[in-house]
Amino acid sequence: MNIYSPTDTPEFNSGQSYDIAIIGAGPAGMSAAVTAAEAGASVVVLDDKPKAGGQIYRNVTNSPLTQPELLGEDYLKGAALVEAFEKSSTEHIHAANVWHVGDNGEVLFSRDGGTQSLTARELIVSGGAMERPFPIPGWHLPGVMSAGSAQVMLKSDGLVRDDAVFVGTGPLLYLIVAQYLRLGVPVKALVDTTPKSAYLDAMAEVGGALSATSMLRKGLLLLNEIRQAGVPVYRFASDLQITGNSAVTGLKFTSGNEGRQLEAEHIFLHQGVIPNLNLTRAMGLEHHWCDQQLCWKPTLNRWGQSSLDTIAVAGDGSGIVGADGASVMGKLAALNQLQRLGQISADSRDQQAQPLFRELERLNKFRRFIDRLYRPIKAHRIPESDDTVVCRCEERTVADLKRGFELGANGPQDLKGMTRCGMGPCQGRQCGHTVSELLAQWRGISVAEVGYYRLRSPMRLLNLTELGQFSRVEPKPSTTGAAS
Amino acid sequence: MKNANSDVLIIGGGIQGCSTAYNLARQGVSVTVLEKDWVSRHASGVNAGGVRVLGRDVAEVELSKASMELWHGLDDELDADTGFRARSLINIAADENDMETLRKREALMHGLDYHHEKMIDQQELRERLPHVAPHCVGGVVSEQDGYAIPYQSTLAFRRAAERFGAKFVEGVAAQRIRKIGQQWLVETNQGRFEAEHLVNCSGAWADQIAVKIGDNVPLTHSAPMLMITTRMPHFATPVVGAVSRPLSFKQFENGTVLIGGGAKGFADRENNRTRLDYAKMAVGARNAVEFFPIMATASVNRMWAGLEAYMPDNLPVIGGSVNADNAWHAFGFSAHGFQMGPIVGQVMAELITTGRSRFDLNKFRIDRFERKVL
Ligand SMILES: Cc1cc2nc3c(=O)[nH]c(=O)nc-3n(C[C@H](O)[C@H](O)[C@H](O)COP(=O)(O)OP(=O)(O)OC[C@H]3O[C@@H](n4cnc5c(N)ncnc54)[C@H](O)[C@@H]3O)c2cc1C
Ligand SMILES: Cc1cc2nc3c(=O)[nH]c(=O)nc-3n(C[C@H](O)[C@H](O)[C@H](O)COP(=O)(O)OP(=O)(O)OC[C@H]3O[C@@H](n4cnc5c(N)ncnc54)[C@H](O)[C@@H]3O)c2cc1C
Repeated sequence: MNIYSPTDTPEFNSGQSYDIAIIGAGPAGMSAAVTAAEAGASVVVLDDKPKAGGQIYRNVTNSPLTQPELLGEDYLKGAALVEAFEKSSTEHIHAANVWHVGDNGEVLFSRDGGTQSLTARELIVSGGAMERPFPIPGWHLPGVMSAGSAQVMLKSDGLVRDDAVFVGTGPLLYLIVAQYLRLGVPVKALVDTTPKSAYLDAMAEVGGALSATSMLRKGLLLLNEIRQAGVPVYRFASDLQITGNSAVTGLKFTSGNEGRQLEAEHIFLHQGVIPNLNLTRAMGLEHHWCDQQLCWKPTLNRWGQSSLDTIAVAGDGSGIVGADGASVMGKLAALNQLQRLGQISADSRDQQAQPLFRELERLNKFRRFIDRLYRPIKAHRIPESDDTVVCRCEERTVADLKRGFELGANGPQDLKGMTRCGMGPCQGRQCGHTVSELLAQWRGISVAEVGYYRLRSPMRLLNLTELGQFSRVEPKPSTTGAAS
Repeated sequence: MKNANSDVLIIGGGIQGCSTAYNLARQGVSVTVLEKDWVSRHASGVNAGGVRVLGRDVAEVELSKASMELWHGLDDELDADTGFRARSLINIAADENDMETLRKREALMHGLDYHHEKMIDQQELRERLPHVAPHCVGGVVSEQDGYAIPYQSTLAFRRAAERFGAKFVEGVAAQRIRKIGQQWLVETNQGRFEAEHLVNCSGAWADQIAVKIGDNVPLTHSAPMLMITTRMPHFATPVVGAVSRPLSFKQFENGTVLIGGGAKGFADRENNRTRLDYAKMAVGARNAVEFFPIMATASVNRMWAGLEAYMPDNLPVIGGSVNADNAWHAFGFSAHGFQMGPIVGQVMAELITTGRSRFDLNKFRIDRFERKVL
């Protein structure tokens, strides 16, 4: 065994920096990288996956499926972006788990069994979204999974589950069911929780704009496709309850004023996506509560610049914008940072940005419509029954939290100290929004006033051996040309 | 403007302030505690929870032993759950030099008639810690030590104090401090607070309060760092330290392992912030794995640091002001003050109500560093 002396601290934080480091190689990160590299900046992109693509374009260029086109047009569109990204002068460090980003431009990540560090003058965080937790009775039981995880299994490993019940709302849910069916996997049922009123509210929101109608049609077409495949679709479902003691046995719910019960060994839940906050929260960026999307978001200016001026956030990690919106935001963030680095003029930045801002504006109209239509209902966000689990890592229920609250824990951070809710390995990803909303309800104040957990690095788990092995990554000479 | 009067005004809602408030309030003294952030926000809420007598400076042993006795009955006394667990604490000797250090310490302690620290050989070390690395040669054990949950413990004192009528005012910082006649007047962002006695329990900020009272003190502050792993299979019951290496850890009942060892990050007390020094964390990680190879694959779940006050001799200041009447200090615990909380509260209450203490507090005088000759 190696015996290190305690004074043997690794050389750290010295040497060459990148112009721009980008975290996440999804549409936002890849587009930012292409834009920045084209202008001559030295760019590094860190992503935890073996291949570029992000959530939506996962494995688009090396799918384990024999007919990836069955996953749909939107999926294949990503191939072009991935190719442009791979051709650019960007340095892509894949299989890199970023676990610390400092306000001094320091980025630490685990890779190859060790910790590597690099520094960059500017940073773009494009870590994407995660699925909104769905805290209903029984959601913690083995056999329950999020629909997105089911999709990841499909895209990465070609793994599927027969006879699953899909539950929830949102375009992604329908898409995943359709993707399953196109591959010939039997689906037991789709239990759709979108309330009837949401359709009316959504139409009112956009006054029947053409774009929105086509969006609505896209969703209804998917629903139709699912029905025509012979899958029972239960609409306007409520009062969800997953049954089972040590594993899932089925689902109880109400639909069409009728109590129903389905037997199932696999239940896939989904009610939309929210920004994955662990990166931006741990970096100490300012956040605010967004009522339209019912989630916390980093507070940004129109270029995606955060409360720390050297850090921009782009894509679904900034608020849900979709793959196209993510791409546009990535480009805008890159343009602004190029200007800050002195590599393009403000005029050139503004000129290139103009069509991008217009595009974003257009996409935002869609987004308002989708947000309205697929707004997750209160009962599925704020658990009502005492024994519903809120924090899955530490197995804390509504009743446990209530007790902590009654003992005087008023905010998420106090409640964490008192009950351990949010202290587990997911770092609060699965319970943070629920806790903010629960406390707001109990205290009769707004979620914004309640706040969120204080998070800090590491934002990803790493082991002691990885932490103990330090090395430093610097720009390759060929990519530093423009930096000098 | 609020105008709040009480017999005693305590500045600082850490464990020392809360324990002092509790011990005063239960004797019927009216107490107000001012806390600029919230109770247990700083060192007292985020420390490693180590409750140890082992390895204390001889000046502290009497206080520390008395505090230890209190810890063993604290849940009952405060009618709360502090998370206290009695555990043996073992400091590991990595080589013969360490054993020599321990033998000298043993001679010193026996000379003072202290017998709570017991040396153990390699075989006994292995029996008590089956997963210890083979190169470790022995160690020293104290059977009466343990750990508690810092946030819960500090809060337990606060709640008990409140039951006896103590008032806690959070989010209010003491700013200007004056003495008019027999009254201390403390101006805050939310009005004035008055009291006959003023107690400085303001942790890493205590030098600022001391100066306003009239006492200079060579206090520094720093940010010791900690990390905790996800749950691991049970492998260590005793709390573990090392004689000459920066290593200390404890495995909790839920399997998580808290690793400390004294490595310090960067402290920014003006902004209530700390920054971690990851390169030093890396050294801590290597040390842990070197002593306990089983930890090689342990996952780090969280890392943090707290703001702590240090005196040049690593001993606290406990006692009266030398330049003002009815002003009292308890701060500068130099990274081992959590264990002292229960007894410090008693001592402060004694001092305030009777002017004296049953302990010899000479080593803790605030003016002990003042040069007698210029
Ligand atoms: C589970 C799921 C499935 C989805 N499926 C679809 C779909 O089928 N069709 C559709 O139109 N939209 C889908 N979406 C929405 C779509 O992912 C987004 O609109 C789009 O991908 C956003 O792009 P982005 O660049 O912001 O983030 P992403 O595409 O998510 O890219 C972020 C990348 O950053 C990586 N990353 C995050 N944190 C770290 C870290 N700490 N260290 C290293 N790397 C990190 C991620 O692994 C990911 O590769 C899905 C979303 C989710 C959450
Ligand atoms: C990471 C770490 C690990 C540690 N591990 C251990 C251990 O294992 N065992 C052990 O015994 N000890 C340990 N310690 C030391 C122990 O935590 C401290 O010695 C002890 O908590 C000090 O208590 P305190 O009440 O003096 O200070 P604090 O808890 O810091 O409380 C002081 C309070 O005063 C408030 N304050 C300051 N100025 C003002 C003002 N002007 N107006 C109003 N309020 C003010 C502050 O906001 C603060 O809350 C550790 C410390 C740290 C940081």
